[in-house]
Amino acid sequence: MVKVAEPGVQEEVHSIEKPHETPPDWEPNILAFACHYCAFAAADLAGVMRLSYPSNVKIIRLPCTGKLDYIHILHAFERGVDGIFAAG
Amino acid sequence: MNEKASSLKKGSVLVVGGGIGGMQAALDLADSGFKVHMVQKDPSIGGTMVMLDKTFPTGDCSMCMISPKMVEVGRHLNIDIHSLAEVVSVEGKPGDFRVKVKCAPRYVDPDKCTGCGDCEVKCPKKVLSEFEQGLTVRKAIYSLFPQAVPNTRAIDKDNCLYFKKGRCRLCQKACKAGAINFEDNGKEIDLHVGAIILCPGLDRYDAKVRGEFGLGRWKNVVTSIQFERILSASGPYKGKIKRPFDGKHPKKVAWIQCVGSRDPRNANPWCSSVCCMYATKQAIIAREHDAKIEPTIFFMDMRAFGKDFDKYVERAKNEYNVRYQRAMISTIREEPGTGDLLLRYAAESGKLIDDIFDMVVLSVGLEPHKDAVKFAKIFGIDTNSYCFPVTSPLQPVQTSREGVFVTGAYQGPKDIPETVMQGSAVAGEAMALLGEARGTETIAKELSDEKDLTDEEVRIGVFVCHCGINIASTVEIDKVFEAVKDLSGVVYVTDMIYACAQDSQEMLKQAVRENNLNRVVVASCTPRTHEPLFQDTIRDAGLNKYLFDLADIREQCSWCHMGHKEEATKKAIRIVKMAIAKARLLEPLKTDTVGVTPAAMVIGGGIAGMTTALSLADQGFQVSIIEREKELGGLLRNLYHTLEGNDVQEFLKSRIAQVQAHKRIKVYTGIEVKKTEGFVGNFKTTLTDGTKIEHGAIILATGGIEYEPAEYLYKESGHVITQRELEKKLAMGEKPKSGGRFVMIQCVGSREEPNQYCSRICCQDAIKNAVAIKQRNSEAQVVILYRDIRTYGLRENYYKQARDLGVIFVRYEVDKKPVVEREGERLRIKTWDYMLNKDLVMDADWLVLSTGLRPHPTTDKIGEMYKITRNPDGYFLEAHVKLRPVDFPSEGIFVSGLAHAPKNLDETISQSLAAAGRAGTVLSKDHLSVSGIIAKHRKDLCMSCLSCFRVCPFDSPYIDEEGKVAHNEVKCHGCGICAGICPAKAFQVNSFRDDQILAMIDAAVECETVK
Repeated sequence: MVKVAEPGVQEEVHSIEKPHETPPDWEPNILAFACHYCAFAAADLAGVMRLSYPSNVKIIRLPCTGKLDYIHILHAFERGVDGIFAAG
Repeated sequence: MNEKASSLKKGSVLVVGGGIGGMQAALDLADSGFKVHMVQKDPSIGGTMVMLDKTFPTGDCSMCMISPKMVEVGRHLNIDIHSLAEVVSVEGKPGDFRVKVKCAPRYVDPDKCTGCGDCEVKCPKKVLSEFEQGLTVRKAIYSLFPQAVPNTRAIDKDNCLYFKKGRCRLCQKACKAGAINFEDNGKEIDLHVGAIILCPGLDRYDAKVRGEFGLGRWKNVVTSIQFERILSASGPYKGKIKRPFDGKHPKKVAWIQCVGSRDPRNANPWCSSVCCMYATKQAIIAREHDAKIEPTIFFMDMRAFGKDFDKYVERAKNEYNVRYQRAMISTIREEPGTGDLLLRYAAESGKLIDDIFDMVVLSVGLEPHKDAVKFAKIFGIDTNSYCFPVTSPLQPVQTSREGVFVTGAYQGPKDIPETVMQGSAVAGEAMALLGEARGTETIAKELSDEKDLTDEEVRIGVFVCHCGINIASTVEIDKVFEAVKDLSGVVYVTDMIYACAQDSQEMLKQAVRENNLNRVVVASCTPRTHEPLFQDTIRDAGLNKYLFDLADIREQCSWCHMGHKEEATKKAIRIVKMAIAKARLLEPLKTDTVGVTPAAMVIGGGIAGMTTALSLADQGFQVSIIEREKELGGLLRNLYHTLEGNDVQEFLKSRIAQVQAHKRIKVYTGIEVKKTEGFVGNFKTTLTDGTKIEHGAIILATGGIEYEPAEYLYKESGHVITQRELEKKLAMGEKPKSGGRFVMIQCVGSREEPNQYCSRICCQDAIKNAVAIKQRNSEAQVVILYRDIRTYGLRENYYKQARDLGVIFVRYEVDKKPVVEREGERLRIKTWDYMLNKDLVMDADWLVLSTGLRPHPTTDKIGEMYKITRNPDGYFLEAHVKLRPVDFPSEGIFVSGLAHAPKNLDETISQSLAAAGRAGTVLSKDHLSVSGIIAKHRKDLCMSCLSCFRVCPFDSPYIDEEGKVAHNEVKCHGCGICAGICPAKAFQVNSFRDDQILAMIDAAVECETVK
């Protein structure tokens, strides 16, 4: 391997290109943005009907999914959220 | 409110009975300017619904639905509850009744009692609990159930040791408030009211009379209401399904239907209307509690006639393995020593089968209370031979005495939504009777000033609800408690068994005051149902109601992660932390008020629309009826008689005449709605002819259509007709020939995919026509091929009459439908007979198809116009299947008639009166408050790029005089689409601000602040 002048930069670039290995017991942290009138109601209905789904999803209620802003999504990814589900 | 003291009519109403029907009537009346006196025999209101665990067909928790309503009734300024009370005499005339009410002594002073329950703990005397159906005990000083309203305990004199033996008084010693009063003599009060509403409900049939079922002898035979308590989380077994005999978990459980119903020889002749569905519900819920349970329901006809009921039964069969066995059980025997029960029944093949079950539930029917005769006499109303009050299908809530109305199961057996509908219907009738006296006897609420939060640091109180065991059995409440108590801003944390109960509301207020809280987070159920209740409570405690957030840890956590305690607890903690993060940033919001246009627009001029219009016009409001066809009347124009024999055309003619003559009703025919703008209280509608109407409420009575069959040679043979066509022939005086044969096929186009629903009217139509044929010529033959005969309620009598007249009923199954062939001039019908177990072939002169109902083709268009969803069958979906059957999620819009679901004429009329009652609660107000949750516009940030202007569905941004974007907050619904799209972030939605959402995101990923 040829040594370059600034190995640190080289490595940083390298790490961006190659994604992390996923540990075997890793669970994604998912955030849902749900409209108060439909998707949030649907989530309630899922509960009322005792439908089971994984517990790693948390819901943020919005008055309408039209309220969802790209800063919410970017901020969530920045803070380490693994997936976003917008429903409305 | 207008002061109209000169009115001769009284502005108050007496409601006799505190069940869900009475509560609905009371709330509608009290919310629209009438004083309500509620007289309830029991120590608490609630009636039958509070005893139920869940409700069909949605499986909603019964107590969770009714508890907020009870709280609302209990705290309403214009509703006085007189509990342990009975009416002893009624004098006077409509608008002006004098009523004497006798209140039995409670021996506990409600003014002093805090509801703490210390007395109950100390009381040494145990009594079998009536509420728990004798499955457990209560004390001699008791409250009927934990969420009781009023929350004052009562002493049961017949069992109290002091009253019986002259000593004890332990409760008096225990009561720190000094509320116990053994010298209480009760009281008599005189009330002066304008109208009377009777809703005492029904009693349950005493199945002990039927010794062959062994109730009371075989311990594992229980009644359906006992099983309801067994299922209940707050019941005697804490929601664990156990056998009373040995506490073992049963595996095979049988339900026996029609115990005390449809049995003129031994019990009551009528159908109780609800048992098929509650048995199905109990079987499903039992399976949900314990998947090892194998339910079997023994039934005669499966009467799943309501909206979405058939789908529910299909689900029970296919997803929950509930076995439905068509058989009548004649006797139950116990296997000695084991507690197991032996049932013998005849299988489809005719073979006798002995089957052993671990537990048997008797689906007991409903019947009038024992004192029904005396009750009717006090109010001076006529009753039929079964002691039900006499009403007409054309005036379903009017008794024989003017000004005295009836609602709920007392009018005839019915389920919760129909009871609620009739509750609103009687409210509408009373409003129409007493319209001019509105507001003469009510008082307005005086709220204390809101606390000023300037310069105050954030002080959050967190209240975690167990919801009985609904939450607590899955989420470890103490861990939630521990996890949030040290978060920044949190100064107080506690848990509650039922956060929504009245005593919890008092605790909440006290906690706010004592700890100087200025933000409140309740972790319980969904904000969609419970937020208003808690908001009112904190407002009573002096906090702005928007300083509140509800963390949903039931619907969105415990209920969908059952059996995963650890994960559910982790998630619940996270949900509560997110709510706290938002709560830190909540600010008090101001709410505005807007005026109300006291007028209504009714879309649809059928009987539903006309009934609603007449009631609203009688209440004093202007009404416009929009009918797209050339004339009024709708589907009713094709109907000649009701099952009960009323002349429908005569009735329709008089209704149309009344509508056309009414000075406050304007009818537009041949015209449709083009568009509607505005919001509740202030709608502006443009019609297709350009007319503009201003109105405060909208009633959708768009109706339905009859299904036109494509099967059984209809249109191919002139001898194949529909029931409606037969009805017309009979109405025109046709006399059937001797020996002539009519074969009727039921469920044509109903109850199978893609129309998996019962059209509800067809069984009655068939029987009505069959009886008419037989009465005109008993030599004519009528054969009805059916799947289940669904003559529910008192309609069962006509089924019996048809059989007595010689009408032959042959059952068929959907996978073995009758086959129709042409045989020269006549028709040949082949069907499988399950009694004979072979094919039956019969020739017929007439084949009559019982065709179902479909939603009106305009339903989708209207639904899109008003943003109202339809159910899978295409009917409008109401706001809540059980408790808001005529409302929509969008305020100010109501539904009545076939647009909601198939129903009979009397039910359509009830529902239409209900829509009028509900609309009356909106139109009677001078002002409506606008929600505080709206978008706020900052002109200093705005660049007038017009993005918001283009996307707002409510047209609230506008261009002002300076040519810049401004915002009309009255039109704003707070959806926040403007805030999402605005590049300058000039819009922020109150309580959903960007900083609040970002804080919730942080809290969702472990970035919360710790003290």
